[in-house]
Amino acid sequence: MTPMVELDNVTRRFGDTAAVREASARLERGEFLTILGPSGCGKTTLLRMIAGFDRPSAGRILINGQAIDAVPPFRRSIGMVFQRLALFPHMTAAENVAYPLKMRRFDPAEIPERVERYLELVRLKGFGSRRPHEMSGGQQQRVAIARALSFSPDLLLLDEPLSALDRKLREEMQLEFRRIQQELGVTTINVTHDQREALVMSDRVVVMDAGRIQQADTPAAVYRQPSNRFVASFIGMTTVFPGMVAEAPEGIGEIIVGDVRLPARLPAGGLAPGTAVDCGLRAEQVRVVAPGAPRPETTIGGLVERRIFEGDRLVYEVRVPPLGNLTLMVFDHDPATHAEHEVGARVLLGWNARDLFVFPKETTENATRQETGPAS
Amino acid sequence: MTADAPRPPAPAHRLPLRWRVMDRIEAVAAALWPAAFRRATPWAFLAPALLLVGILLIGLGYVISDSLHELNPATYRLREEYSLGNYAAFLDRPVYLLVLWRSLLAAVLVTAITLVFAFPYAYVMVRTRSGALRKLLLVSLFLPFFIGQVVRAYGWLIILGKQGLINQALEGLGLPAATLIYTYPAVIFGLVQYMLPFAVLMLAPALTAIHEEVELASESLGADWLRTFRHIVIPMAKPGLVGASVVVFTLTLTDFAMPEILGGGTNDFIASTIYDMFFQLSNPGLASALAAVLVAVGSLIVALVFRVAGTGTLGLRSGS
Repeated sequence: MTPMVELDNVTRRFGDTAAVREASARLERGEFLTILGPSGCGKTTLLRMIAGFDRPSAGRILINGQAIDAVPPFRRSIGMVFQRLALFPHMTAAENVAYPLKMRRFDPAEIPERVERYLELVRLKGFGSRRPHEMSGGQQQRVAIARALSFSPDLLLLDEPLSALDRKLREEMQLEFRRIQQELGVTTINVTHDQREALVMSDRVVVMDAGRIQQADTPAAVYRQPSNRFVASFIGMTTVFPGMVAEAPEGIGEIIVGDVRLPARLPAGGLAPGTAVDCGLRAEQVRVVAPGAPRPETTIGGLVERRIFEGDRLVYEVRVPPLGNLTLMVFDHDPATHAEHEVGARVLLGWNARDLFVFPKETTENATRQETGPAS
Repeated sequence: MTADAPRPPAPAHRLPLRWRVMDRIEAVAAALWPAAFRRATPWAFLAPALLLVGILLIGLGYVISDSLHELNPATYRLREEYSLGNYAAFLDRPVYLLVLWRSLLAAVLVTAITLVFAFPYAYVMVRTRSGALRKLLLVSLFLPFFIGQVVRAYGWLIILGKQGLINQALEGLGLPAATLIYTYPAVIFGLVQYMLPFAVLMLAPALTAIHEEVELASESLGADWLRTFRHIVIPMAKPGLVGASVVVFTLTLTDFAMPEILGGGTNDFIASTIYDMFFQLSNPGLASALAAVLVAVGSLIVALVFRVAGTGTLGLRSGS
């Protein structure tokens, strides 16, 4: 079956700078894909090209197997929810939802029924006669999504529509968007800089940086097996530090950091002993080991330098002398141990060998290395 | 220095100079305008505007009062007794109605034509991504402002006149000379050219307020450029359109210089007639009556526009 969307070496240059470089990806029917990256990484440019508001400088975009470069946005079957929602303020919610139906010349007899159905889908039954300014932020979001879907587009694009909402509403709407998407089975591309949103909503996540696709994989794989230093440090709170490969058998090898050897998972394909590498350790995967508790695979002693109370967790910054006085970030979610470790206290840190990421030291060339294609 | 608040403890380090200057200014302001007067502050700011409107209203009162006294041809003074004679004269003499009609028609025509030209101009100026083009459009807009209406009208005389540039060119081509000035279309032309900057300046903020995403949304929902314009941009630009219409309409209705210079006395507007009545015919009674009619007709039409379009279009949203 042809994929719904296919990006074939898409590049977009603005003058001398490339906003998107040689991006290739495939999106299957019914899939929910999130393009995740920091601002300026090229994710919005990519989305605008798919929507038809911008054209690639090189490469092709195929929708349903058809190259669509010459097709203007109003002839594409794409619904889009914009960052500022872009509801039409001079129309009621129902008129907003009916707008694409009128513009796309749906049978006038069918329109009221469709408007009703899509307002119901987004749980706004009875709100049709309100104007956008008479509705709450969450309700406006729902109108925007009903409007983008009412004409049954092949593809739904979301351009960070949730970024302006407060956290609680945002998390509620994430689940709501996902519910609607799954109910209709509409193929969706979401763009965000919010890693939580990407992990919660998506079937697959494409991580972008500096115009390049860094990794395309399931949320779990992007989180557990980041393919390079950028992905590891962008998702989660990761301490990155330099090391050197000591032994490199298949699977778990050993690296030298400071004065010690640490077991670590080496990247597939292996690395020669002596290779300089970047290591990454997620704050949430390091534990403060209580005396007498079972020990994880790797343990090492350190001194608490800072303690930050964040409500549901404590964040420690722990200096580890054997690792060349490296300061590790550690999240402690266990309420039983809260407030036990004062600044200056000696603590035992522990983690499992597979949670210590190792990437080849990035030169300028492979810093922009590209990882494409869906997970196998 | 105010004594009502205890001085804050001196900070250990010196505050930045700008803070200290601001503190001084605040202390002086507090001494000159104590807190008890604070509630009056908004009214104090409103006072000049109220004063101006008040004086205008008093002047209008005098005009209306003068219009109710007929001229005594023997003494060239207004009679003591009140009468509606001036208004009767206005209705009686077809020339006054013709002049009023001519002014109203011009106001409608100029408003319509100006908006047609101003809308795309303002749209391009607001939407262009090229800073150079935006600057060029802005400068072209403001440059005529610095020149003034009378000089510009004379400029048109040089171009359009009997011996003007266009007629010289026609002559050079062996074509008969055309009458381009002292006609109604010439007056309309001059007025449109004069009003264009006002209309663009009223429209630009309204168009700026329409975020580009709204137009993109309309396109992605299936509307081509033309339909986006019709269903989204124009309705959303309504405040600007109403504002620009009212400004252009009233300025044209009461315009004096353009019909005077480009009409050459053959196409007088009501303002010229009022002027002549005051200063040539020395009949302040009838002149005041004409002025009162002009104010009434203009106000009525503007009130009607707001009634239909809603004052909300000016950004004054009512309760609902």
